[in-house]
Amino acid sequence: MGLNRNVDLLTGLRYKGQGPYLTFILHRIGGSALFIFFTLYILTLAGVEFAHALFSNALVQIVIVVLGIFHAINGLRITILDLFPKLIQHYRVAINIEWAVYILICGFAIFVVLRSAAGG
Amino acid sequence: MEVTVKIFRYNPEQDKRGHYETYKVEADENDRVLDVLELIKGHTDGSLAFRRSCAHGVCGSDAMRINGRNHLACKTLIRDVGANITIEPLLGLKVAKDLIVDMDPFFDNYKKMLPYMINDSPLPADGKERLQSPEQRARFDESTKCIMCAACTTSCPSFWASDEYYGPAAIIAAHRFIFDSRDEGASERLQVLSETDGVARCHTAFNCTNACPRDIHITQAIGEVKLAMVTGKLD
Repeated sequence: MGLNRNVDLLTGLRYKGQGPYLTFILHRIGGSALFIFFTLYILTLAGVEFAHALFSNALVQIVIVVLGIFHAINGLRITILDLFPKLIQHYRVAINIEWAVYILICGFAIFVVLRSAAGG
Repeated sequence: MEVTVKIFRYNPEQDKRGHYETYKVEADENDRVLDVLELIKGHTDGSLAFRRSCAHGVCGSDAMRINGRNHLACKTLIRDVGANITIEPLLGLKVAKDLIVDMDPFFDNYKKMLPYMINDSPLPADGKERLQSPEQRARFDESTKCIMCAACTTSCPSFWASDEYYGPAAIIAAHRFIFDSRDEGASERLQVLSETDGVARCHTAFNCTNACPRDIHITQAIGEVKLAMVTGKLD
């Protein structure tokens, strides 16, 4: 007899795995955001009104852009490291580069969304 | 200095669920967390249960979560974790009592990796050793350092989700033989690792690499196994 092995979400999130673990968590959240994005996109194409309204909301667009772009860039880093395992020993540098690229791209994307929302 | 230690407690004969107990002890900043546990067990509460053996980072018995992260208690100094310490059992394995977890699933996964030399070829002409160059030996040097403490496997989110996943430690054991030039069982091991519960479940969270008390580049080794599985090359 012993306590069961289940690790609940909060316990898992509280594990202090540092920067790489944070990217792992954000990657999952980003993936969920992309799922929401595609669902809204399909519903919008199908003419569902509330989906169209949500899809046009600047705040929703920014949230999806922020999380979706992270998912894409982090996925690219993982793919590169998977293809070239010798680079994995430099994973901290890779993550720092990822953040730098992410901030640049994300900043530009947010600027475009805001400009569009302002009617520019 | 006074150290406040909050320890997860669970007695299967009394408790339905775990709880925490707090102890205050006098310790030196150069003491190890294991010393503090011994102090509590020896002088305050003899019912406290935890594993330990060599106490010098070799046997791998005392892996536990210290301040939210896997460490060996015998290699963790008080000055590195501060005066407020929370000690909990490893995640993803059943708690047998207090800080002791049931390691059976961990070792079951290890056994699936065929962790022994496989070579049915006749011995060399001199009938003695199967020779290996220093370069060939260096190829798997990292993975020979594993002490099977389970700090890596129990820090892995994929293992938390399912203990069917072989886990980093088992894959490291496989890596040790797959890239050994004297071994001929690589294809069998790669076959095992290509199954649903194999290396594909590694999502490169790097918790294993950060938790390893032997500083093994575990994620890199898993990456090498993944690549060998796809390309069939062991270079």
